[in-house]
Amino acid sequence: MLRVKGVNLTKDLTVKIFVIVLILVILVFPPYFLSVYYLTIVRNVLLWLALSISWHFFSGSTKYISLGSAAFFGIGLYFTAKYLQLSTAGDFPVLPLPVIVLLAGLVTLALAMVIGLVTLRLRGIYFAILTFSVSIVISNVILWWEINVTGTRGTYFPLFDTQTKYYAIFACTIVTLLLTTLVRKSKFGLALKMIGENEEAAVHVGVNASFIKTLGFAISAMLIGFMGGCYSTVLNGYVNTDMAFNSLYNFMPAVMTLLGGAGTVYGPIIGSTTLSLLNEYLRVNFPHYFLIILGVILIAIVIFMPDGIMGIVEKIKTTKLFRSEKAKAPEKPP
Amino acid sequence: MLGSYITYVLFASYGMNPLLSFLISGPAVFILGIVIQTVVFRKLVHLSRSAEELESRSLLACFGLTFIIQNVIAELFRGTSMISVPYLNVSTDILGQPIPLNMIVAAVMSVIISLVMYLVLRFTRIGLAMRATVEEPAGAQLVGINIFKIHAVSFGLGALLAALAGSMLIMIYSNITPYIGPQYTFIALAVIILGGMGSFIGSLAGGFLIGYAYYVSLTVDALITLAVVYAVLIILLIIRPKGLFGR
Repeated sequence: MLRVKGVNLTKDLTVKIFVIVLILVILVFPPYFLSVYYLTIVRNVLLWLALSISWHFFSGSTKYISLGSAAFFGIGLYFTAKYLQLSTAGDFPVLPLPVIVLLAGLVTLALAMVIGLVTLRLRGIYFAILTFSVSIVISNVILWWEINVTGTRGTYFPLFDTQTKYYAIFACTIVTLLLTTLVRKSKFGLALKMIGENEEAAVHVGVNASFIKTLGFAISAMLIGFMGGCYSTVLNGYVNTDMAFNSLYNFMPAVMTLLGGAGTVYGPIIGSTTLSLLNEYLRVNFPHYFLIILGVILIAIVIFMPDGIMGIVEKIKTTKLFRSEKAKAPEKPP
Repeated sequence: MLGSYITYVLFASYGMNPLLSFLISGPAVFILGIVIQTVVFRKLVHLSRSAEELESRSLLACFGLTFIIQNVIAELFRGTSMISVPYLNVSTDILGQPIPLNMIVAAVMSVIISLVMYLVLRFTRIGLAMRATVEEPAGAQLVGINIFKIHAVSFGLGALLAALAGSMLIMIYSNITPYIGPQYTFIALAVIILGGMGSFIGSLAGGFLIGYAYYVSLTVDALITLAVVYAVLIILLIIRPKGLFGR
């Protein structure tokens, strides 16, 4: 019995690895044959995918719903843009882009540590509102500082070519995927999940809940900060607070993840891909009504697929037609 | 936002007094609220197994609804970017300070509405039923309260109050667009949380506090107001995690 299970597992794993490598290979080459328009679409999908995964890494497992992703995205973006500007002007040493992005991520990490320490004592809607407030405060303080101290609106920095834009986002997505997968499988990831299931029980079995929560929050923020840094290459040499701290970055990761199915491994991936592709399709084909249609679809999904897209997939898997030895395996907790 | 637009339409096409249009915008949005609640949110309540699930699904549904309503209005009013219904925009002297009359009207109306709401919640049968539904849904059902009806009515009532606020906003400000709703929603949420959820006095106190923070910072620098408002919220939540009057 055990051996059979083991064999199945390795077979599953080989298939999985094969599929992942295949997708990676497909995604490495687009800049060489896709037109700029389609490249932009792929890039946007990757951007939202990485953001959703980073968000889900913390908020999905611990069920502390954060609505402050824009704060970290914006900080990463602004830091990178500012550094690029200053290093071009000769005030800072010139560094390669990955190093700058890494620095941006570390700055976000430190900031998120502080924010997490303060805010993670609150739960539910209080935490959500608090993280949202933090993003508003940061963006408005930067705006105020820009206008009153430096006297300029936004930051100018050098341009990047199409390939750099794509590979920056691509590399960041890979890093996000790898890091979240590794951490999720570790003891730390389990602890995060346990906090989501039952925080008191987690504390009783010796999980240092506040430490784990803060660190998880900070890692998730760091990944979002990385993506912010990489996203600076996409903007054509100019960024301001409205672009960097757009509320879209606060809400979309949450909406996409819930759409795909929170608490599942593939939920954020499927949700973000579906929504960003759908968004693009509707925007091109129904320029005036696309947001209305998007709204109708969102509501339809909530009513007819309450557990997200992954919920439907699970349901199909467990129906009689597909029931095989897989279904006999103990059910994963939702 | 809908309230603003209804007032605008009535004013622009029939020249109706904005204060009278309350009588139309309020009930219209009340009915819309009840319809939305029955069609969408009642289903969600049935489908959800826990409060957390309901919360996350409602979030998604609200997003969808916001998209729909905002853009339907934006489509209907394509070409008109900002709307306004200037009404009573004359200043009067109160204690030597010139204050626009429409602001005073809005303030008085707000006080009256708050008072009426308080009395309704505190002393009428439906108010009692609402409070019971919030505190103990199962118990409320046991003693014969139709909690689904109560949910629908409270949702509609919330929509009605928001519409009235919208009708008052449009008399004062001239920068109303279809996309103005969310920013007020968040301020409202901030006020409720600041005061403590489920506390009427708390909401009043929270409203005043946020209002003062807004206008005091406005006298210093117009750019810093949002930051100050939300900073006040953050600091107070850290000191009192359940809000000022929260239980």
